Amino acid sequence: MVLLEIQNITKIFGGLIALRDVSFDINRSEIVGLIGPNGAGKSTLFNIISGFHHPDKGRILFKDRQINGLQVDRIARMGIGRIFQEPTLFMQETIFENVLSGFHRHYREAAWKALLHTPAANREERIKKNKAIEILEFMELSALSGELAANLPHGRQRVLAIAIALASEPDLLLLDEPVTGMNPSETTTMIEKIRQIRGRGITVLIVEHDMRAVMSLCDRIVVLNLGVKLVEGTPDRIKSDERVIEAYLGKQVI
Amino acid sequence: MKLLNNGVNDRNSRLKLGAIIVALVALIILPLCIESDYIKHLLIMVCIGTILGMTFSMLYSTGLITLGAAAFYAVGAYTSTMLVTSAGLSFWAALPLTVIVAVVLSLGFGAIFVRNAGVAFVIITLIFVQVIVIAAGQVEFLGGWGGIMGIPRPDSLGPVEFTTKQDLYYLILAILLLIIIIYNALYSSRIGRAWRAIKLSPNLAGTLGINAYRYRLLAFVIGSTTAAVAGCFYAHYFQNITPGAFAGWLSIYVQLYAVLGGLEFYILGPAFGAVIMTFVPEYLRVVKEIEPIVTGVLLLIIILFFPGGILGTIKNPPDLSLKSFKSRLSRVKNRLSQGNKS
Ligand SMILES: Nc1ncnc2c1ncn2[C@@H]1O[C@H](COP(=O)(O)OP(=O)(O)OP(=O)(O)O)[C@@H](O)[C@H]1O
Ligand SMILES: [Mg+2]
Repeated sequence: MVLLEIQNITKIFGGLIALRDVSFDINRSEIVGLIGPNGAGKSTLFNIISGFHHPDKGRILFKDRQINGLQVDRIARMGIGRIFQEPTLFMQETIFENVLSGFHRHYREAAWKALLHTPAANREERIKKNKAIEILEFMELSALSGELAANLPHGRQRVLAIAIALASEPDLLLLDEPVTGMNPSETTTMIEKIRQIRGRGITVLIVEHDMRAVMSLCDRIVVLNLGVKLVEGTPDRIKSDERVIEAYLGKQVI
Repeated sequence: MKLLNNGVNDRNSRLKLGAIIVALVALIILPLCIESDYIKHLLIMVCIGTILGMTFSMLYSTGLITLGAAAFYAVGAYTSTMLVTSAGLSFWAALPLTVIVAVVLSLGFGAIFVRNAGVAFVIITLIFVQVIVIAAGQVEFLGGWGGIMGIPRPDSLGPVEFTTKQDLYYLILAILLLIIIIYNALYSSRIGRAWRAIKLSPNLAGTLGINAYRYRLLAFVIGSTTAAVAGCFYAHYFQNITPGAFAGWLSIYVQLYAVLGGLEFYILGPAFGAVIMTFVPEYLRVVKEIEPIVTGVLLLIIILFFPGGILGTIKNPPDLSLKSFKSRLSRVKNRLSQGNKS
């Protein structure tokens, strides 16, 4: 069953064509990889899906509804979460507060009840805090929960970014280079975590340069080059595709 | 597995609340120990200043800087004055009506203003306060540049009268206390969390479904309405208002209270700043003439050397030595390795 449909997306920055007529679908509970050399347009596509950019041509359908043109927060509330390629956290807050902020769209009790600390609002707050604790345990950040996000090393900041996104309980999670800056053992752990995230029923679209991670994780891979979709298929097919090898020629990553 | 919850912050907020309670008890006893009406007047001005500073901080907590904190202070003062002097209402009827007027007006103007963040918002608010001042000065009905004289004191409430400085001090203290309670509830709720999220990272906040526009508008409306309540009190305390009283330096002063006390302390910061900015110049009578210059220099020094303000500097004394930096780094590393084992 299709969750996200990317239809003929074209995006032009000034004179630069960042994306040209890109189309592909993502099915529910899939892990789809989006790969390509630097500047291929991967992050640009993420920005279009999550509403930071609007496409010049084409449509994006999420759960059969057109989302391009909607605002970032509106798209988030429909169930799309993401992490950014650059470290993007609430740096001056603790790890725990960072994750708690992720629950924002899932509060059901009216705000005035929270202000008056009614029993129902207190209970809801307690439930959210327990869920935050659970997410921190799952992402192995519990020991750091009182630390400021700014004080974390890079690898841990990426883990925290995913923890925050998980708190927002998305149906589709966009991961822009989740293991970049991690050592091999951290990478292995993260690959396993992403599998478990999919196990929770979350569909994942992942951009990553680490080919070991991409090949072992993804059900399907889409290859972009210079804004154009080169090919799409299973990891095995992608590995042996001549056009892909050519695009990556000299890089010897595959 | 220590720190399963945000223990650090629960403790912090309890400390904060404790400090507020101690300060309030002191503030209730204070006028009883003071003879001088002038000092009582200064205490009243501290309360008003704290309220205005808190409205600045509320917008700041969403990442917006206003130079128009005095705008709705003026709106409140004029609205209440007109309702009492022209429409003949009692102060206690005028106060809630002023609140309604302020909510409606701030909703209307805020809907346009908060679409702009950053420098644009700063300039808009700066212009807005000047427009309000000029409007009040030009409109005959509002008393023109000469303002309005002979505004009555708040009517007595049963046996409670509002005639002496002490009475009025307790009235503004009660208003301040109520505002602090409301603000504290807001900051510690998910609303305050959303405000801080917008300030710290608008992009990340957006991907979590937080609508920055709506939350900033909410802060604008609450802050403006609070300022209008302070303005309402001010008019009936001073018993005369002129457009000039709301012009120029006032909004800068309000900002200075918040910056001086500590920008990250949304309630205590403005309180500390207002106390210092009200009392220190009194004891520096020599500089009275050039006070705006001293004030400006003070602001610059604080921004450049003590960006955390007084409270921020007390809480995290700046330690710029390499040693402290390294020890901090190794502490994080230690915790990290513990985290891996557990
Ligand atoms: N906001 C923008 N304004 C102008 N040009 C942009 C903008 N964002 C991206 N680009 C350009 O679009 C092209 C695609 O960039 P994009 O960030 O999508 O690449 P990418 O595939 O994510 O690369 P990387 O692997 O390095 O992250 C690049 O040439 C980039 O310079
Ligand atoms: Mg990128």
